Formats: sequence, structure tokens, C-alpha cells
Amino acid sequence: MTSKKQLKKELIIQSALELFASKGFYSTTIPDIASSVKISVGSMYNYFTSKDVLAKEIIKYISLYLGNKLQNINEEKISTEEKTKKIVEVYFKTASLKPEMIDYFLRIYLSNREVFKNGCEGMICVNEFVTEIMIYFEEGVRCGDLRDQDFFSAFGLFMGYLGGMVFLKGEEILPKALDTYIDDISYNIYKALSK
Amino acid sequence: MKMIKLLWLSGITCNANTHSFLNYPFIEQFLNDFEFIYHPVLDSSYTLQEIVSNEIECDVLLIEGSISPEFQRADVSIEDIIRKYAPKVQKIVTVGTCATFGGIFSQSDYKDVTGLHFDKEQKNQKFENLFDKTISISGCPIHPEILVNTLYAIKGDIALRLDNFLRPKEFYAYTVHNGCVRNEYFEYKVDAHQFGELEGCMFYDHGCQAPFTHASCNKILWNEVNSKTRVGLPCFGCTEPTFPKANLFTTKKNMGVPENLPLGVGKRVYLTLAGITKAFKIPRLEKKLLDD
Amino acid sequence: MIKLIEKIEGEAKLNFSFKDEKIDFVTIEFMSTRNIENILKGKHALDALVINPRVCGICGHAHLIATVQALEDCYEDLKISNKAKIIRELTLNFELIQNHFKWFYLTLLPLFGHKQQVLKATYPSQLMAKAIALFGGQYPHTSYTIVGGVVCEPTEMDIIKLNHYIDETIRFFENNLVKTDSNSFLLSDKIDKFLEYEGDLITILQQIKEDDMLALGKSYDRFISFGENSYFKKAKSIKTKVNDSVSIEYVKESDIPSSFAKSVTFKENYYEVGPLARAMINKAALVKDSHRKYGDSIFSRILARVCETSQLLAHSKKLLERLDLSEPSYINPNVDISKINGSGTSAVEAARGSLIHKVELQNGIIQNYEIITPTQWNLSGGTKKKQGVSQKAMIGLSDTKTAELVFKTFDVCSVCTTH
Repeated sequence: MTSKKQLKKELIIQSALELFASKGFYSTTIPDIASSVKISVGSMYNYFTSKDVLAKEIIKYISLYLGNKLQNINEEKISTEEKTKKIVEVYFKTASLKPEMIDYFLRIYLSNREVFKNGCEGMICVNEFVTEIMIYFEEGVRCGDLRDQDFFSAFGLFMGYLGGMVFLKGEEILPKALDTYIDDISYNIYKALSK
Repeated sequence: MKMIKLLWLSGITCNANTHSFLNYPFIEQFLNDFEFIYHPVLDSSYTLQEIVSNEIECDVLLIEGSISPEFQRADVSIEDIIRKYAPKVQKIVTVGTCATFGGIFSQSDYKDVTGLHFDKEQKNQKFENLFDKTISISGCPIHPEILVNTLYAIKGDIALRLDNFLRPKEFYAYTVHNGCVRNEYFEYKVDAHQFGELEGCMFYDHGCQAPFTHASCNKILWNEVNSKTRVGLPCFGCTEPTFPKANLFTTKKNMGVPENLPLGVGKRVYLTLAGITKAFKIPRLEKKLLDD
Repeated sequence: MIKLIEKIEGEAKLNFSFKDEKIDFVTIEFMSTRNIENILKGKHALDALVINPRVCGICGHAHLIATVQALEDCYEDLKISNKAKIIRELTLNFELIQNHFKWFYLTLLPLFGHKQQVLKATYPSQLMAKAIALFGGQYPHTSYTIVGGVVCEPTEMDIIKLNHYIDETIRFFENNLVKTDSNSFLLSDKIDKFLEYEGDLITILQQIKEDDMLALGKSYDRFISFGENSYFKKAKSIKTKVNDSVSIEYVKESDIPSSFAKSVTFKENYYEVGPLARAMINKAALVKDSHRKYGDSIFSRILARVCETSQLLAHSKKLLERLDLSEPSYINPNVDISKINGSGTSAVEAARGSLIHKVELQNGIIQNYEIITPTQWNLSGGTKKKQGVSQKAMIGLSDTKTAELVFKTFDVCSVCTTH
């Protein structure tokens, strides 16, 4: 794929994300997205053959985006406690700067599983992100910082907490900005997961 | 052709290498081509008493069992017997994991128990001058064919390529995982294994070390018929310097991720592939192999 | 006079004292010990299944079976399928059989001035090793039987293969050791008539007769056996009087000052263990007839070991008929071993006699482990007043060469003794 086409593709994904966030997933149509990036519906299909395909590409795009950020953190020579804080930071920063991205993950990917059942089985479409979380956990246990437990009990605690905060933010219930909670939340998570 | 003279010397051992060697199918042929000046079970040209008190001509020194300065054979220190014969022989072969790395009996009450050149992964200084003439055949016990064919290679003056622990690569470049009949369950991450079944892979829960153990157990079968992993018994990594590790029937995991991954496979690669394969169900691998 | 006895899976020193040109006392010294019982302390219970076969390279399988039974004895009610029990018994039989072949052709023949017959030792023992490997994956040093059953799931094809290994071993026995079909051999009950056959066993027995060695190697005529399965019984036999009220709690180990091995007694007395003991307890007709005529001499001891080979082959065929492959191989224990607190004891019949294991677990971790091996029974070293079984068997002999022969008819296993 040419870089020009790739850029266009990312532009479509970004517009779609914003539209899904403002109008809702089901009310947003392909023509809506096409007009927002100023291309014809016909050429839109050159990029994504259906809305479902687009939906899956978006989740992979988000997984890759977050996965890359987490990989950088995992590769740093820092303590598990510091890593924990950096992961929370990345997540909240993304939620503030690209709220539509986290919104998509929480509201669309997790609540419209039927859209993702073919081609996004299990956690395939969020593989990059989950892999990095696993590496963060595994290395934390291996070096003796974190308590060994089932992956999902730890994963649920971590992601449920962060997701919940972003959700409260989205509902405008949270009185303060997300990043003001970073220290306390990282502390809580690390406390809960450490030995 | 000249008969190659072998001295089979036992250190701290259970004798299983001796008996595993007797499982070599063409033992008569072997005994036509090699002469034991001493063997712990087979009739040999000299008694142990004669071996330790004289200097008998010898081409290859085979050492079975771990070595300790305290340990004696026929009232002579094993280290002294080695020092006497080692300089004269053409090659030394450490037979088994005890002789190579110290093995299980490095935990015995003897002082400073090690293998000839290695204390687990650590290289020993003591017999360093013999390093270049040694070949390690690790395994608890050794596989008879691997020992015998290495001896034939010595006899035929064939240069063997050795790994860092002096093990012939032709046998130890493989992992025990290569050739295991349970491979598909590993590849597709079908992680439910129960003992007593033809199906399933012991890597996920039951401690199987096959994917990171160097040996040919599933390439050159045991007793010409089988292997531990084929019957459903985990590989315990008995050819490796770390043998025996602890909790051998349980896979050490950190938050569900196996601590030891297939040899040379990075964690990110492993987890990415695992994430993908785990997402799919493969009906053929979910059901019993022989059921309709 | 000290003699180094070699090729007994290691060595031992016999220190002979002579009086009037006859041996009047022998001390037996083993020069080392590996202290496996110490290695086991603090280890996870199941690791014993991997460590204990490494007590011995020739009879390590008996140690595996003893280990699993001792661990299972720590449970209150653990279910094991009949299938798993039969498979365990079969593989243990195969080890006994291969040990006996090796002993006859590698150890015994040279003592009678014959050349070792390596191929005759290895051919049948390799077949028996293959038979074990069908279930266990390999031999030596498999750990295929675990708490709750066995790890393997044999198929009909495996059983067909297994039958071939057994049949071929039987054929080998019939063509070499006693040249007759096994059925008539197993029905033999008169030793004189039996000696009319030909074969490698007969040659040796005839030689004992011709060389006037019939009275050699007699000891207390007191036998004991603790392992129980579908073939062996737990009992003792004082001369020919069999009594099955024997309890392991009366078995005691004690140190021998001059040796790394330990003595073992039952109610303060030394007993002979092994094939002759088992044949006396099982009232095996041919051995009993030999015992009636020649007592507990080397003649009866050698005969009993070889007879047992054939009996176990025939019995294994019968056991196979009882094997129901549709039963489960393994039943997951209802309590994880990491929650088990308690102690367990087991006894199995190994090639050389009764093998006893005792274990104490706390939260599935081994606190204490004790192993009493068959050779310890036969080679217990007593004082001049109260001599061990093999000590007594050597008294009165006029030369150390004959003493070595008598000593080796017990099929001594040095590595086991120096566990």
C-alpha cells in the first residue's frame, strides 16, 4: 500500500471514530463517513468493503496504537511500579487526547460483539495490546514485584478500573481532569497487584 | 581395524547409563568393534582393582556419574583415576547428566559434586586441560544409540560439531518437542491436558520441558518404540545442566504466561501467536482422537 | 583377608576371618552412600516420582512403583482404576524378568567358569524394556505412574505389540534356559525329573550337583515378603511354615558401624528376601521340592530366580487378559497433593526382594523419606553372635572364590544398598 493510500485510510478511521463517538455506531453510515473525508461512497469501498470490515480495522488500529506505546514502556529498564504508572498515563492521555479511541474500545468493541465475531475471535484484534499487558504482568511476577495469579483476575482489575474512570469521564461525572487521578490510581493498582 | 579400548569409570551414579547402554540393539556388533578394559557389568579385560593400581593402555575414557574429590572407587579417589587415564586417552566421553553437569547427585552429601567440566551451567577450572578432548553425552540416562554412535564417530575419526556444553549437535541441536505426537495441541494452544489421555500437550500445565530441552528423544525413540511425551509424561529436561529442577509436574507460570518458552522464541512472538491461535477452536483437536 | 567384590552394580568389600582354614566370620562393607533420602527432604511430593527411580539403574522401576504407592497411601480414599493397577503390576513384572535374565547370563555364568553371554542377557531384557516403554515411554527411568493412576492410554495396538514382546521372551526362555514348553516347565514339581531337561539353567544346576556344591550357601531358612499384588503375597516362611501375619511396623533399620549400608530386621531377626523367599511363600512346587532336598542353598536360590522369570511371564499374559482398556487410566485425586498432610508406607516386590518406602508429607512437601531396599535385608551385617543372612551363608566355606559365588546368588545390588 502506498503511503498516500495508508494516510487516507488512517484519515477515514479517524473520521469514523469521531462520528461513531458523536452519532453512535449504528446511526453512522458509510456515506456519512465518506462525506466527512470528502470522498465518494464508491471510492470509500476501495478502502473498506463494509462497515463491519471498517469496524474491525479500527479496533486493530487502536490495539496497535496502544500496543506500540506499551511496548516502549515494557522495554524501558524501570521498576514494575514505574511501568504501572506509565501505562496508566498512556491510557489516560489517549483518553483525553483521543477520547473517541477509548470510547470506541469501551462502547463499541466490548458491547457489539456480534459485529466482531468473524475475524475478531477471542482477543485477536486486540492482540498487540493484550500481549504487552501480558508481558508487563509476566515480567512483574518474574522479578518478584507482582503476586502470581490468574491472568484474567489481574487483567480485569487493571482494565476494568481504567475503563471505569474513562467511562465516568465520558459521562461527565468525574469532577476533575483524568490526569489528576494518575498518581492515586497507579498506586492503587500497583498495591493491588504487588506481593 | 584396530579395536578401540574403552575404560568405563563410574563416579557417583545409579548405574542407569550402564544399563541403558545395554539396551543398544546391536550390542554384539559393538563388542566386536570395541574392547572394554573395564566395564561395571560386562566382562572386561581387567578388574577394577587392576585398573586403579596399574596404568592400562586405553583409547577412550568414559565417565559415568558425578565427581567429588571425596569419592573413591576401589579405595582410590575418582579424581586421581581420571588424572591418571585422561592425559593418555584420545578422547573422554562424559556419559550422562551426572558426569556432564553434576546432575541429581550434586545434591548428595559429598563435597563439591560436579560434572567433569561443568557445575550445572558453570564451567569448572579443575579439569580445564581436558576440555578439548571431551565430548558430553548428557541425559538421565543416556540414550544408547547416541552414546554408541558417538563412539563410532570417535573410532572413525569423524569430527563432531559440538555445542557449548560439548554435546554433539547432531543429537542435541533438536528439542524434545521435535517429533512429539502431541505437537498439534501445542501449536494450536489446546491447553487442556489430562493425564491418562492420548490427547493434549503437557507444556501448559504439567511441566513439560520438551520445547526448551536439547535432545532427540522424539527423533531417535527410546527402546526403539516410544518416548515419555508420546505416552503423556512430561519431559523433565534431563539432558540439561539444570536437571533436576523443582516441581517437575507443574508448569511455572507468571500470571498465566509460562516462564520458560520454546527455545529461542521471544515472549512477544510467543504471546502474539498464542493470542491468535487461542482465539480459534479447532474441533478435531477438541475431541477425542479415536472417537467418531 | 579383604576381598573387593566387583560388578554388583558397584562394589563391596568382604572382610573374611578364617579359623581352621574355614571362613568363620565375614563383614560386608559398602564404601559410599548417596543419601537420596536427604535429597528428597523439602521437595514437592510428586518430584519423588522423578528422583526415586534414580536410586537404581537396574531396578529403578520398583522404586517408582514403591514411591507412587507410598504417596497414595498418604490419602484417605484415593481411587485407582483396576486398569492402572494392572498396568503398574505388568511393568514391574517386566523389570523383574529383565533383571533375572541379566543376573543369570551376566553375573552367574562367570561364577561357574563360563563366559558371560551378553546377547542372551540383552536380547530378552531389551524386549522387556520395550514392553515397559510401551506404557512408560522409556526404560530405564520413566516416571509414568503418578498419584491417581498412570499417564499413558494404551490402545489395542499397543496390547498386540506387548503380547509379541512377551511371547518372544517366553520363546527365548524356552529355547535357552529350560528347553521345553513353558506349560510343562511350570507344572514340574520334581527337581530330579526337572534336571533331565536341557538348557542353560540345567547346565548350571547339574554343575552344582557334579561339583558337590549342593549344600553351599545355606542360611537361616527364614523368608519374608512384604509386597502384595495379584501374584506375590505378604507373609513369612520359617522353613516351610508360612504365616501371613507380618506387619511392616516390626521392620527396623539400624546402622552398621563399618559400612554405609544399614541392617534391617523383622522382629529383631534377619530374613532372606527375594525369589526364593517368594517361592517358599507361594509354595511353588518345583522350588519346594528342591528346598525339601537341598534346603535354602545356592541350588534352590538359583532355581527360584530363574523359575520366577518364567512364572512372571506366564502370569503377565494372564494379567493382560484382565486388562479392560475402557476403564480410565488416571482418576484425578479429589484432594490436590499440596493439601495433603500425613504419612504413607508401601512395599513392593523388586527383583531382589521386598522394597519398602515410607514418606511423610506436610502440605504436599516431603518432610521425611525412608527407603529400605531388598539387598539391605539379605546383606544385613550382624555380629558374630547374630549374623546376617548372606553372612551366615558364607560361614564354613574354605575359599573366598566360593564365598563370592554364594554372595552373588543373592543378586546383590550395591547402588540400591547405598541409596
